[in-house]
Amino acid sequence: MTALLQVKALAVSYGVVPAVDGVSLEIKPGELRVILGANGAGKTTIIKTLFGLLRARAGEISFNEEIDLLRLKPHQIHALGVAWVPEGRQLWNTLSVMDNLRLGGFGMKDKALLERRIEGMLERFPRLRERHNQIAGSLSGGEQQMVAIARALISAPRLVLMDEPSLGLAPLMVREVFDLVREINAMGIAILMVEQNARQALKVAHWAYLLETGRIVESGPAAEIASKESVQAVFLGGHA
Amino acid sequence: MELLLQQLANGLVIGSTYAVVAIGFALAFTVLRVINFAHPDIFMVGMFAGLVGAAQWPALGFAIAILAGALGACFVGFALERAVIAPLRGRDVLMTLIGTLGVAICLQNGMALIAGPDPVAYPALLPRQFVDIGPVALTLRQILNFGISLCLLILVSLYVRRTAFGRATRAIAERPDVAAAFGVNVARICRLTILLASSMAGIAAVSVGVLYGSASAFVGLLYGLKAFICMLVAGNRYFEGVMVVGLAIGVIEALVTGYLSSSLRDAAAFFVLIGVLYFRPNGLFGSYAA
Repeated sequence: MTALLQVKALAVSYGVVPAVDGVSLEIKPGELRVILGANGAGKTTIIKTLFGLLRARAGEISFNEEIDLLRLKPHQIHALGVAWVPEGRQLWNTLSVMDNLRLGGFGMKDKALLERRIEGMLERFPRLRERHNQIAGSLSGGEQQMVAIARALISAPRLVLMDEPSLGLAPLMVREVFDLVREINAMGIAILMVEQNARQALKVAHWAYLLETGRIVESGPAAEIASKESVQAVFLGGHA
Repeated sequence: MELLLQQLANGLVIGSTYAVVAIGFALAFTVLRVINFAHPDIFMVGMFAGLVGAAQWPALGFAIAILAGALGACFVGFALERAVIAPLRGRDVLMTLIGTLGVAICLQNGMALIAGPDPVAYPALLPRQFVDIGPVALTLRQILNFGISLCLLILVSLYVRRTAFGRATRAIAERPDVAAAFGVNVARICRLTILLASSMAGIAAVSVGVLYGSASAFVGLLYGLKAFICMLVAGNRYFEGVMVVGLAIGVIEALVTGYLSSSLRDAAAFFVLIGVLYFRPNGLFGSYAA
């Protein structure tokens, strides 16, 4: 199967400080892959570069093996069917839940379809229906994460980039979010997730990459990675 | 009591103009991250464009002046965006500040070269007529100025709250990166925002020109300063907040003129600014984090 997204020898730096240094990875349609790494390993940098929000110093990023993402603007990349669940949700806090969802489908020409999709999301997340007129900034962390995920799904993307979806959530909510990740993937949507919660992420992912100071140090099927001693020591060690 | 009501009415009339100009500042600042020092002079160009329009087609009077004012200001706004703001986007905020300041100086002195440095008479496009509303006497020109400004403010509010482009405008104001990643063409919305701010300023300028019966190449300075203060006092989080502060500053000035001294009028806004920022550095209604 051809790769949906392919990154080759990507290098990104902030000024002279390299943040990502020669990262190669790929994801096939319908797959769920995770990039594990500590704070500052370069996870968010990779996602922002995929979206055209940061400029790559070197390397290639291709979509569907033919489209060069490095030449496109963020809104053009979104139009290809790529959606984003940013780190820390990053909702439009002064806008209502409904407006956040509507903006998720900003590029959609068919407004009736957009309304149907929003209705579908409110169906799936009844808590959001209760709060649909509230401003997003007034929701709890878990509810905000649901808005962030629903907002990403409105445009019916082929690939969702998820940046630490479990960050800052209560344990019960963390489990709900990972269930949701699995559910989205089961719908056939490819997911490239960046996480620090290795234990949960390795349970849902098909494939995992380990990122350390801007370089991929390990990669392989999630189950294999989870059983590696080095990984256990760094990411899974200590507490159960 | 009568003086109070009269000054309140006078204040609202001029405050509504401050509010329109201030919204233009606020739009440019929140959406494009630009302190657009050329905005007051776009207002000034709009005023002269209206004057020229009215002179060309006298039969069409006020309507053509408004249209010409909007188009003239819109054109300058367009050129400013293309030539200065867009090329400097993403750079340090000081760069665009200096760029727009340069354009402002060119516009002022360019107009002074064409029209002369002294105020010129504005065509009397509306009859000089008083209207009594209870104990308050306003001129037809004042009422129309207030009405036009209020319409503009309501339209902007509806635009940013009820339309897809307006929502995208607010989305860029709060999180430009996320907006771009969700399919918003940021460059296009930025262009549209400048055009909107400029044409509004042009319309308000024609109305003010008719109200006071004069136009000057340096008229932008006063309105620009007041409008800038309105934005700082309100904070840039809610456009409606900027509108309310615009009206309030107008009223405060009118009350100062009525009860204290007209020579203190222009200082009033600064006292408000200092007072508010001392207690609420992010403005009365809050600001987006930079």
